[in-house]
Amino acid sequence: MSINGVSPNLPVSPPGWRQSAIPLPPSSSFGETLREAVSAVDNLNQDAGYKVTSLVEGDGVDVHDAMIAVEKADLAFQLMLQLRNKVVQAYQQIAGMQF
Amino acid sequence: MNLFGLFQISGSALAAERLRAEVATSNLANADTTRTAEGGPYRRRVVVFNSQPNSQFRLLLANTLSAGAAPPAGGVRVTQVVEDPSPPQRRYEPGHPDADAAGYVAYPAISPVQEMVDLMGAERAYELNASAVQAAKQMIQQALQILK
Repeated sequence: MSINGVSPNLPVSPPGWRQSAIPLPPSSSFGETLREAVSAVDNLNQDAGYKVTSLVEGDGVDVHDAMIAVEKADLAFQLMLQLRNKVVQAYQQIAGMQF
Repeated sequence: MNLFGLFQISGSALAAERLRAEVATSNLANADTTRTAEGGPYRRRVVVFNSQPNSQFRLLLANTLSAGAAPPAGGVRVTQVVEDPSPPQRRYEPGHPDADAAGYVAYPAISPVQEMVDLMGAERAYELNASAVQAAKQMIQQALQILK
């Protein structure tokens, strides 16, 4: 019984995968990424504000829906704040370098 | 599962339990109702909970990432509110305007005790899911503490 060696034309990637079917997104700048993150946090904040307003106006929004939206906005803001603190801290460390 | 996946699951359960409490309350309120728009006495209603189906995309993604694993967790939702088919109670009240020729009035087959227990169950389940929201919030806050 002969065993075939590995022929060079075997597909390397699994059969379901197409090679380079999806082009990689163009690399965005740091400022762009930051702007997107901040606007995502702002969206959650606006959603929370809208739901609380609808709740007190009696538009049929569930109480827990409004509370969860507020919590989401709070947590997202905390995450953003922590990231900002970290970035400022890193900047200050670099600015305070002594040569 | 995204950052707020736990919130979505608990939120769906909170909404479902609230609807269950509403239906139990409606049953209690209509325990003596003999007239409805459909005719005849009020019929006891029961909610049917259904696990929320995952979207095709999430199922496909989970299958691709780990074949054979259990599908990702989803929430719950009330798919329908069905009527209890049990026959109405017949009470002998000849003076009642809804009495039939023999003097019997058809009342809904509702036991207030059973409805109260159902209401308490819904209340406790709501409490449980609210605790789950708290747990999710604390988990995210713990994760944020790592950065400090």
